[in-house]
Amino acid sequence: MTNISNRRRVVITGLSVVSPLGNTIDELSKNIFSGISGIKLLDEEFVDQLDCKIAAQATFNPADHFTKHTYSMLDRTSQMALHTSIEAVKDAGLEITDQLKPRMGIYLGTGMGGAHSMEDGYIRLYRDGASRLKPFTVLMGMNNAAAAAIALEHKLTGPNLTFSTACSSSAVAIGEASRQIRHGYADVMLAGGSEALLTFGTIKAWEALRTLATQDENDLTSSCKPFSADRTGLVLGEGAAILVLESYEHATARGANIYAEILGYGSASDSTHITQPSVNGQTATIQAAILDADIPAEAIQYINAHGTGTMLNDVTESNAIKNTFGAHAYDLSLSSTKSMHGHLMGATGALEAIITTLAVNTNTLPPTTNLNNPDPQCDLDYVPNVARAIPRLNYAMSNSFAFGGTGASLVFKKINP
Amino acid sequence: MTIPTIDEVTQALSKMVADKMDIDVATIQSDSSLQSLGLDSLDIFDLIFSAEDHFKIKVPNDQIKIESLHDVSLLVHKLIIEQSK
Repeated sequence: MTNISNRRRVVITGLSVVSPLGNTIDELSKNIFSGISGIKLLDEEFVDQLDCKIAAQATFNPADHFTKHTYSMLDRTSQMALHTSIEAVKDAGLEITDQLKPRMGIYLGTGMGGAHSMEDGYIRLYRDGASRLKPFTVLMGMNNAAAAAIALEHKLTGPNLTFSTACSSSAVAIGEASRQIRHGYADVMLAGGSEALLTFGTIKAWEALRTLATQDENDLTSSCKPFSADRTGLVLGEGAAILVLESYEHATARGANIYAEILGYGSASDSTHITQPSVNGQTATIQAAILDADIPAEAIQYINAHGTGTMLNDVTESNAIKNTFGAHAYDLSLSSTKSMHGHLMGATGALEAIITTLAVNTNTLPPTTNLNNPDPQCDLDYVPNVARAIPRLNYAMSNSFAFGGTGASLVFKKINP
Repeated sequence: MTIPTIDEVTQALSKMVADKMDIDVATIQSDSSLQSLGLDSLDIFDLIFSAEDHFKIKVPNDQIKIESLHDVSLLVHKLIIEQSK
């Protein structure tokens, strides 16, 4: 990888979420730094038929935000993404002029796209014996439906791509969007992810993979325990998270509030196993991001870990961090906020990118909650249970790894370190 | 099966349009163009789908040539009679 001399700086000027920890940045921030969990008993009729009855659901009623005509043509994934995009643009104070539209695009990640719409269709067809499906089934189910809805809403005619690399989808979307700006193909990008897969069929499919957490019967909200010796797996979540990315020149010219800079992005493929994470693949991903950021590895002070809470991931990720940073691995801090917001799959990288941005902005490290029995194989500083204020957080990283092997790491920088 | 009158068909279709487009059913006239009621080509497919469910009919693809709510009423009414035989 070469350091391209004419690359432009990419900054974050807008943030928005629909998440298990709230649907505003203020709520998310308050909850994440207070160690509040969004994991609870799944509020669905079919919950009794599940082995794993917990999830991190978002509280999102489309009728609160859209007309029936609009929301009835959109899957829950697209509804959440569209709402989030509108709020992100508002947060950025951005006026999307006719001049800007061709220079502004949307890159979105999703793992399973319109899971609700497809499952509703199959129920109608296979269970209810219907002979035909609703006319919008294809348009609601397709993976690029959410990005398309966003481009239509804001009339964006710049690049519009959907990334589907399972759990790293939205980290990839943010990284690739930042490159569009960095290399001059766009001035502003909406980038993030959306996922709504808490359907009976999808949860059953995840159950079969034996990666879901066992419920903590003493406290359901504490069921996800990343890096703890008694961790049992991940907790499925849903939501959407979108960032407004902008060239530094464009942002400063309009006097925008800048949250942080995206300094680097790296991606690599494990290419070893469809589910088992690889230390080499994760190391290559993290190293690529640091090289792209053009900073010494020792500059990284905090990592928002992928930290799924599965036995394999947490040891592998810890080892990849040791591999990359050497002795500095024991000086930096990392945490898995999935202990609170669960695993939003295709949206998780974007939610965690926002949390990392907030950390940089507030000089506060979010905790890994439910970390009460340290695993000897996970011997780094995981910011256990309580958020930590530090004098100055200049450089942070967010990791995302995935089934299928595509890793993505992003490096964030305080705007004036 | 009791065959509904054309007015009953129009009334039922008006309710479907009002529900779908979030508009007051009182504002819908039988000669209103579907476009003026805000329906695009996809909305028309969706309206036909709802009508098929409601009246237990099947609308062949080559017969969806409609401009106004009245066109839909005539088509649906004709198909109810044909397909009830």
